[in-house]
Amino acid sequence: MSEPVRIVEKEPTPPDAIAVQGLPDVGLVGLIATAHMVSELNLKEIAYVDSNLLPPIVVLHDGLPHSPLRIFANKSLIAVIAEMPIPADTVQPITQAIVNWLQSKNVKMTISIGGLPVPDRQNIKDPKVFGAASNASVLKMLQEKGLEILTEGYMVGPQALVMRYCAEKNLPAIALLAQSFYNYPDPEAAAAAIKELTNITGLKVNVSQLIEKGEEIRLRARDVMKRTQNEMTRMKKSQEYDLPLYV
Amino acid sequence: MSRRRKRSIFDLMGEYMEDFRRWAEETIGLVTAEQPSWNTGTCCLEPLCNVFVTIDEVVVTADLPNTNPDSVRIKATGEDLLEIRAEMKRKLRFDDFGITHRRGEFSSFRCQVRIPVPVDTEKMKTYLKRGVLEAHLPRKRRQRRLSN
Repeated sequence: MSEPVRIVEKEPTPPDAIAVQGLPDVGLVGLIATAHMVSELNLKEIAYVDSNLLPPIVVLHDGLPHSPLRIFANKSLIAVIAEMPIPADTVQPITQAIVNWLQSKNVKMTISIGGLPVPDRQNIKDPKVFGAASNASVLKMLQEKGLEILTEGYMVGPQALVMRYCAEKNLPAIALLAQSFYNYPDPEAAAAAIKELTNITGLKVNVSQLIEKGEEIRLRARDVMKRTQNEMTRMKKSQEYDLPLYV
Repeated sequence: MSRRRKRSIFDLMGEYMEDFRRWAEETIGLVTAEQPSWNTGTCCLEPLCNVFVTIDEVVVTADLPNTNPDSVRIKATGEDLLEIRAEMKRKLRFDDFGITHRRGEFSSFRCQVRIPVPVDTEKMKTYLKRGVLEAHLPRKRRQRRLSN
Protein backbone atom coordinates (compact mmCIF):
# COMPACT_ATOMS: atom_id res chain seq x y z
CA MET A 1 0.00 0.00 0.00
CA SER A 2 1.40 3.42 -0.92
CA GLU A 3 2.14 5.98 1.79
CA PRO A 4 -0.73 8.38 2.51
CA VAL A 5 1.57 11.42 2.08
CA ARG A 6 4.48 11.48 -0.40
CA ILE A 7 7.02 14.24 -0.94
CA VAL A 8 7.94 14.07 -4.62
CA GLU A 9 11.36 15.57 -5.27
CA LYS A 10 12.06 17.35 -8.57
CA GLU A 11 15.45 18.87 -7.77
CA PRO A 12 18.21 18.17 -5.19
CA THR A 13 17.58 19.64 -1.75
CA PRO A 14 20.26 21.98 -0.35
CA PRO A 15 22.01 20.56 2.76
CA ASP A 16 22.07 22.41 6.09
CA ALA A 17 19.35 24.82 5.03
CA ILE A 18 16.84 26.70 7.14
CA ALA A 19 13.26 25.61 6.42
CA VAL A 20 10.37 28.07 6.58
CA GLN A 21 6.74 26.94 6.60
CA GLY A 22 3.90 29.17 5.53
CA LEU A 23 0.72 27.18 5.81
CA PRO A 24 -2.67 28.97 5.70
CA ASP A 25 -3.73 29.99 9.17
CA VAL A 26 -4.68 33.10 11.18
CA GLY A 27 -4.63 36.20 8.89
CA LEU A 28 -2.79 34.08 6.29
CA VAL A 29 0.34 35.56 7.86
CA GLY A 30 2.55 32.53 7.19
CA LEU A 31 1.31 32.03 3.65
CA ILE A 32 1.71 35.71 2.70
CA ALA A 33 5.18 35.95 4.31
CA THR A 34 6.47 32.75 2.73
CA ALA A 35 5.01 33.56 -0.69
CA HIS A 36 6.77 36.92 -0.52
CA MET A 37 10.09 35.23 0.34
CA VAL A 38 9.68 32.77 -2.55
CA SER A 39 9.16 35.68 -4.92
CA GLU A 40 11.71 38.10 -3.43
CA LEU A 41 14.51 35.52 -3.12
CA ASN A 42 13.61 33.86 -6.42
CA LEU A 43 13.32 30.39 -4.88
CA LYS A 44 12.80 27.45 -7.26
CA GLU A 45 10.34 24.62 -6.84
CA ILE A 46 12.25 21.51 -5.73
CA ALA A 47 9.46 19.23 -4.50
CA TYR A 48 5.74 18.91 -3.94
CA VAL A 49 3.43 17.06 -1.61
CA ASP A 50 1.22 14.37 -3.08
CA SER A 51 -1.47 12.81 -0.94
CA ASN A 52 -4.82 11.18 -1.46
CA LEU A 53 -5.83 12.75 1.86
CA LEU A 54 -5.94 16.17 0.16
CA PRO A 55 -8.95 17.34 -1.86
CA PRO A 56 -8.77 16.71 -5.63
CA ILE A 57 -7.27 20.12 -6.47
CA VAL A 58 -4.49 21.32 -8.73
CA VAL A 59 -3.41 24.93 -8.98
CA LEU A 60 -2.84 26.26 -12.49
CA HIS A 61 0.08 28.64 -13.04
CA ASP A 62 0.88 29.79 -16.58
CA GLY A 63 -1.49 27.09 -17.82
CA LEU A 64 0.30 24.23 -16.08
CA PRO A 65 -0.94 22.16 -13.12
CA HIS A 66 0.83 22.22 -9.75
CA SER A 67 0.24 20.66 -6.36
CA PRO A 68 -1.27 23.22 -3.98
CA LEU A 69 1.38 22.17 -1.43
CA ARG A 70 4.88 22.80 -2.76
CA ILE A 71 8.45 23.14 -1.55
CA PHE A 72 10.80 25.81 -2.90
CA ALA A 73 14.49 26.41 -2.19
CA ASN A 74 17.73 28.17 -2.95
CA LYS A 75 21.16 27.21 -1.56
CA SER A 76 20.39 28.06 2.04
CA LEU A 77 16.62 28.30 2.42
CA ILE A 78 13.75 25.86 1.97
CA ALA A 79 10.18 27.20 1.90
CA VAL A 80 7.09 25.03 2.33
CA ILE A 81 3.97 26.73 1.07
CA ALA A 82 0.32 25.75 0.64
CA GLU A 83 -1.95 27.69 -1.70
CA MET A 84 -5.08 26.26 -0.10
CA PRO A 85 -5.96 25.52 3.50
CA ILE A 86 -4.95 22.09 4.71
CA PRO A 87 -8.15 20.27 5.71
CA ALA A 88 -8.36 20.01 9.50
CA ASP A 89 -8.52 16.21 9.49
CA THR A 90 -5.33 15.91 7.41
CA VAL A 91 -3.13 18.47 9.19
CA GLN A 92 -1.57 15.75 11.35
CA PRO A 93 -0.31 13.34 8.63
CA ILE A 94 0.67 16.19 6.30
CA THR A 95 2.75 18.11 8.86
CA GLN A 96 4.27 14.87 10.15
CA ALA A 97 5.37 13.92 6.62
CA ILE A 98 6.84 17.39 6.06
CA VAL A 99 8.79 17.29 9.34
CA ASN A 100 10.06 13.75 8.60
CA TRP A 101 11.20 14.89 5.17
CA LEU A 102 12.90 18.03 6.52
CA GLN A 103 14.73 15.92 9.08
CA SER A 104 15.87 13.48 6.37
CA LYS A 105 17.32 16.50 4.52
CA ASN A 106 19.31 17.55 7.58
CA VAL A 107 17.85 21.03 7.85
CA LYS A 108 19.52 23.22 10.47
CA MET A 109 16.28 24.63 11.80
CA THR A 110 12.61 24.99 10.90
CA ILE A 111 10.72 28.26 11.28
CA SER A 112 6.91 28.32 11.18
CA ILE A 113 5.41 31.72 10.49
CA GLY A 114 1.89 32.45 11.68
CA GLY A 115 -0.48 34.97 13.15
CA LEU A 116 -1.48 35.66 16.71
CA PRO A 117 -5.06 36.96 16.60
CA VAL A 118 -5.73 40.16 18.52
CA PRO A 119 -9.24 41.67 18.71
CA ASP A 120 -8.06 45.28 18.41
CA ARG A 121 -5.73 44.74 15.45
CA GLN A 122 -7.13 47.87 13.69
CA ASN A 123 -5.54 49.99 16.42
CA ILE A 124 -2.08 48.42 16.16
CA LYS A 125 0.30 50.20 13.79
CA ASP A 126 3.32 47.95 14.22
CA PRO A 127 2.32 44.36 15.00
CA LYS A 128 4.49 42.73 17.64
CA VAL A 129 6.03 39.34 16.95
CA PHE A 130 6.21 36.60 19.58
CA GLY A 131 8.28 33.46 19.49
CA ALA A 132 8.07 29.88 20.67
CA ALA A 133 10.77 27.24 20.46
CA SER A 134 11.06 23.46 20.41
CA ASN A 135 13.83 23.27 23.01
CA ALA A 136 15.53 25.29 25.73
CA SER A 137 18.62 26.26 23.74
CA VAL A 138 16.58 27.64 20.82
CA LEU A 139 14.38 29.49 23.30
CA LYS A 140 17.47 31.05 24.85
CA MET A 141 18.69 32.09 21.40
CA LEU A 142 15.34 33.81 20.73
CA GLN A 143 15.54 35.67 24.03
CA GLU A 144 19.10 36.78 23.26
CA LYS A 145 17.83 38.14 19.93
CA GLY A 146 15.33 40.23 21.87
CA LEU A 147 12.21 38.35 20.82
CA GLU A 148 9.27 38.31 23.21
CA ILE A 149 8.40 34.72 24.13
CA LEU A 150 5.00 33.03 24.27
CA THR A 151 5.43 31.60 27.73
CA GLU A 152 2.03 30.06 28.46
CA GLY A 153 -1.02 29.25 26.38
CA TYR A 154 -2.27 27.03 23.61
CA MET A 155 -1.09 26.75 20.03
CA VAL A 156 -3.52 25.17 17.58
CA GLY A 157 -3.03 24.25 13.95
CA PRO A 158 -0.21 23.39 11.55
CA GLN A 159 2.55 25.33 13.31
CA ALA A 160 1.59 23.73 16.63
CA LEU A 161 2.08 20.26 15.16
CA VAL A 162 5.32 21.22 13.39
CA MET A 163 6.59 22.40 16.76
CA ARG A 164 5.50 19.19 18.49
CA TYR A 165 6.99 16.83 15.90
CA CYS A 166 10.24 18.83 15.79
CA ALA A 167 10.48 18.69 19.59
CA GLU A 168 9.99 14.90 19.47
CA LYS A 169 12.80 14.57 16.91
CA ASN A 170 15.04 17.11 18.63
CA LEU A 171 15.00 19.19 15.46
CA PRO A 172 15.46 22.90 16.33
CA ALA A 173 12.21 24.70 15.56
CA ILE A 174 10.85 28.19 16.02
CA ALA A 175 7.35 29.58 15.65
CA LEU A 176 7.16 33.29 14.81
CA LEU A 177 3.69 34.63 15.49
CA ALA A 178 2.82 38.20 14.55
CA GLN A 179 -0.16 40.04 16.03
CA SER A 180 -2.80 39.91 13.29
CA PHE A 181 -6.42 39.91 12.26
CA TYR A 182 -8.04 36.53 12.83
CA ASN A 183 -9.78 36.08 9.51
CA TYR A 184 -8.70 39.04 7.37
CA PRO A 185 -5.50 38.66 5.32
CA ASP A 186 -2.79 40.63 7.09
CA PRO A 187 0.25 41.57 4.94
CA GLU A 188 1.53 44.04 7.57
CA ALA A 189 1.72 41.23 10.11
CA ALA A 190 3.50 39.09 7.51
CA ALA A 191 6.06 41.89 7.00
CA ALA A 192 6.59 42.14 10.76
CA ALA A 193 7.20 38.37 10.97
CA ILE A 194 9.70 38.50 8.08
CA LYS A 195 11.61 41.35 9.77
CA GLU A 196 11.92 39.21 12.89
CA LEU A 197 12.99 36.22 10.81
CA THR A 198 15.77 38.26 9.22
CA ASN A 199 16.86 39.39 12.69
CA ILE A 200 17.10 35.78 13.86
CA THR A 201 18.62 34.13 10.79
CA GLY A 202 20.64 36.91 9.17
CA LEU A 203 18.75 36.35 5.88
CA LYS A 204 18.12 39.50 3.88
CA VAL A 205 14.53 39.94 2.72
CA ASN A 206 13.16 43.30 1.59
CA VAL A 207 9.56 43.79 2.72
CA SER A 208 8.84 47.15 1.06
CA GLN A 209 7.06 45.46 -1.89
CA LEU A 210 4.94 43.49 0.55
CA ILE A 211 3.82 46.67 2.31
CA GLU A 212 3.23 48.49 -0.98
CA LYS A 213 1.11 45.66 -2.38
CA GLY A 214 -0.77 45.18 0.90
CA GLU A 215 -4.19 46.19 -0.42
CA GLU A 216 -3.81 44.08 -3.54
CA ILE A 217 -2.81 41.06 -1.45
CA ARG A 218 -5.84 41.56 0.80
CA LEU A 219 -8.07 41.55 -2.26
CA ARG A 220 -6.49 38.48 -3.80
CA ALA A 221 -6.41 36.50 -0.57
CA ARG A 222 -10.13 36.85 0.31
CA ASP A 223 -11.25 33.47 -0.96
CA VAL A 224 -8.31 31.52 0.52
CA MET A 225 -8.92 33.34 3.80
CA LYS A 226 -12.61 32.39 3.80
CA ARG A 227 -11.85 28.71 3.24
CA THR A 228 -9.03 28.83 5.79
CA GLN A 229 -11.47 30.23 8.34
CA ASN A 230 -13.72 27.20 7.86
CA GLU A 231 -10.79 24.86 8.53
CA MET A 232 -9.67 26.93 11.55
CA THR A 233 -13.16 26.53 12.99
CA ARG A 234 -12.98 22.78 12.42
CA MET A 235 -9.62 22.51 14.22
CA LYS A 236 -10.93 24.66 17.11
CA LYS A 237 -8.41 27.44 16.53
CA SER A 238 -10.28 29.72 18.93
CA GLN A 239 -8.83 27.62 21.75
CA GLU A 240 -5.75 29.84 21.43
CA TYR A 241 -7.80 32.49 23.26
CA ASP A 242 -8.29 30.12 26.23
CA LEU A 243 -6.58 30.63 29.55
CA PRO A 244 -4.50 27.55 30.22
CA LEU A 245 -4.70 25.45 33.37
CA TYR A 246 -1.42 23.90 34.34
CA VAL A 247 -1.35 21.36 37.12
CA MET B 1 -59.75 13.69 26.26
CA SER B 2 -56.83 11.85 24.76
CA ARG B 3 -53.97 11.14 27.02
CA ARG B 4 -50.63 12.54 25.91
CA ARG B 5 -47.92 9.95 25.48
CA LYS B 6 -44.95 10.58 27.71
CA ARG B 7 -41.92 11.26 25.54
CA SER B 8 -38.91 9.02 26.03
CA ILE B 9 -35.33 10.24 26.12
CA PHE B 10 -34.98 8.88 22.56
CA ASP B 11 -37.93 11.04 21.40
CA LEU B 12 -36.32 14.07 22.99
CA MET B 13 -32.94 13.28 21.44
CA GLY B 14 -34.58 12.77 18.05
CA GLU B 15 -36.33 16.14 18.31
CA TYR B 16 -33.12 17.79 19.43
CA MET B 17 -31.18 16.31 16.51
CA GLU B 18 -33.87 17.40 14.06
CA ASP B 19 -33.80 20.95 15.47
CA PHE B 20 -30.02 20.94 15.25
CA ARG B 21 -30.10 19.65 11.66
CA ARG B 22 -32.50 22.44 10.65
CA TRP B 23 -30.42 25.05 12.46
CA ALA B 24 -27.22 23.80 10.81
CA GLU B 25 -28.81 23.80 7.35
CA GLU B 26 -30.12 27.32 7.81
CA THR B 27 -27.11 28.83 9.55
CA ILE B 28 -24.19 27.03 7.91
CA GLY B 29 -25.98 27.05 4.57
CA LEU B 30 -26.20 30.83 4.72
CA VAL B 31 -22.61 31.27 5.80
CA THR B 32 -20.85 28.74 3.59
CA ALA B 33 -23.07 28.50 0.54
CA GLU B 34 -20.83 27.57 -2.35
CA GLN B 35 -21.24 30.81 -4.28
CA PRO B 36 -18.48 32.95 -5.77
CA SER B 37 -17.35 35.97 -3.79
CA TRP B 38 -17.91 38.12 -6.89
CA ASN B 39 -20.86 39.11 -9.03
CA THR B 40 -20.21 40.27 -12.59
CA GLY B 41 -23.84 41.38 -12.95
CA THR B 42 -23.61 43.96 -10.19
CA CYS B 43 -19.82 44.49 -10.61
CA CYS B 44 -19.44 43.80 -6.88
CA LEU B 45 -17.02 41.84 -4.74
CA GLU B 46 -18.22 40.43 -1.44
CA PRO B 47 -15.97 41.60 1.40
CA LEU B 48 -14.88 39.39 4.28
CA CYS B 49 -17.12 40.18 7.28
CA ASN B 50 -17.38 39.30 10.95
CA VAL B 51 -20.09 39.61 13.57
CA PHE B 52 -19.19 39.60 17.28
CA VAL B 53 -21.89 39.53 19.93
CA THR B 54 -20.94 40.88 23.35
CA ILE B 55 -23.08 41.48 26.45
CA ASP B 56 -23.73 45.11 25.50
CA GLU B 57 -23.36 45.34 21.75
CA VAL B 58 -22.95 43.67 18.40
CA VAL B 59 -19.78 44.56 16.50
CA VAL B 60 -19.79 44.08 12.74
CA THR B 61 -16.51 44.39 10.84
CA ALA B 62 -15.72 44.20 7.13
CA ASP B 63 -12.37 44.15 5.35
CA LEU B 64 -12.51 46.83 2.64
CA PRO B 65 -9.11 47.16 0.96
CA ASN B 66 -8.68 49.43 -2.08
CA THR B 67 -11.71 51.53 -1.15
CA ASN B 68 -12.26 55.24 -0.92
CA PRO B 69 -13.11 55.94 2.77
CA ASP B 70 -15.72 58.59 1.79
CA SER B 71 -17.66 56.03 -0.24
CA VAL B 72 -18.21 53.55 2.58
CA ARG B 73 -21.92 53.22 3.43
CA ILE B 74 -23.59 51.06 6.04
CA LYS B 75 -27.32 51.03 6.66
CA ALA B 76 -29.98 48.89 8.24
CA THR B 77 -32.20 47.29 5.59
CA GLY B 78 -34.35 45.45 8.10
CA GLU B 79 -34.56 44.81 11.83
CA ASP B 80 -31.77 42.27 11.69
CA LEU B 81 -30.02 43.12 8.43
CA LEU B 82 -27.21 45.53 7.61
CA GLU B 83 -26.01 46.39 4.13
CA ILE B 84 -22.41 47.44 3.56
CA ARG B 85 -21.30 49.15 0.35
CA ALA B 86 -18.03 50.78 -0.67
CA GLU B 87 -16.64 52.03 -3.96
CA MET B 88 -13.19 50.87 -4.99
CA LYS B 89 -10.42 53.36 -5.65
CA ARG B 90 -9.58 51.49 -8.83
CA LYS B 91 -11.75 49.11 -10.85
CA LEU B 92 -10.55 45.53 -10.94
CA ARG B 93 -10.88 43.00 -13.73
CA PHE B 94 -10.34 39.26 -13.67
CA ASP B 95 -7.11 39.95 -15.61
CA ASP B 96 -5.79 41.73 -12.52
CA PHE B 97 -6.00 38.41 -10.67
CA GLY B 98 -4.24 36.63 -13.57
CA ILE B 99 -7.53 35.01 -14.66
CA THR B 100 -8.00 35.05 -18.42
CA HIS B 101 -10.90 32.60 -18.81
CA ARG B 102 -13.51 34.92 -17.25
CA ARG B 103 -14.68 38.39 -18.22
CA GLY B 104 -15.94 41.11 -15.93
CA GLU B 105 -14.89 44.03 -13.80
CA PHE B 106 -15.58 45.08 -10.26
CA SER B 107 -16.05 48.58 -8.97
CA SER B 108 -17.43 48.12 -5.47
CA PHE B 109 -17.81 45.95 -2.41
CA ARG B 110 -21.26 44.95 -1.27
CA CYS B 111 -22.63 42.54 1.31
CA GLN B 112 -25.51 41.97 3.67
CA VAL B 113 -24.88 40.96 7.25
CA ARG B 114 -27.51 39.33 9.45
CA ILE B 115 -27.50 40.46 13.09
CA PRO B 116 -28.26 37.50 15.37
CA VAL B 117 -29.79 39.44 18.32
CA PRO B 118 -32.04 42.54 18.55
CA VAL B 119 -30.06 45.79 18.24
CA ASP B 120 -30.77 49.51 18.09
CA THR B 121 -29.64 50.45 14.59
CA GLU B 122 -30.44 54.14 15.25
CA LYS B 123 -27.56 54.25 17.73
CA MET B 124 -25.04 52.58 15.42
CA LYS B 125 -21.52 54.03 15.51
CA THR B 126 -19.05 53.34 12.73
CA TYR B 127 -15.30 53.66 12.30
CA LEU B 128 -12.93 52.91 9.45
CA LYS B 129 -9.37 52.03 10.44
CA ARG B 130 -6.66 50.42 8.33
CA GLY B 131 -9.28 49.66 5.66
CA VAL B 132 -11.45 47.73 8.11
CA LEU B 133 -14.98 48.98 8.77
CA GLU B 134 -16.20 48.58 12.32
CA ALA B 135 -19.86 49.15 13.29
CA HIS B 136 -21.00 49.07 16.92
CA LEU B 137 -24.70 48.44 17.53
CA PRO B 138 -26.03 48.52 21.11
CA ARG B 139 -28.19 45.52 21.99
CA LYS B 140 -31.84 46.03 22.82
CA ARG B 141 -32.58 44.82 26.32
CA ARG B 142 -35.66 43.47 28.00
CA GLN B 143 -35.16 43.87 31.71
CA ARG B 144 -37.08 41.67 34.07
CA ARG B 145 -37.19 42.15 37.82
CA LEU B 146 -36.91 38.96 39.83
CA SER B 147 -40.01 38.40 42.00
CA ASN B 148 -39.60 37.25 45.58
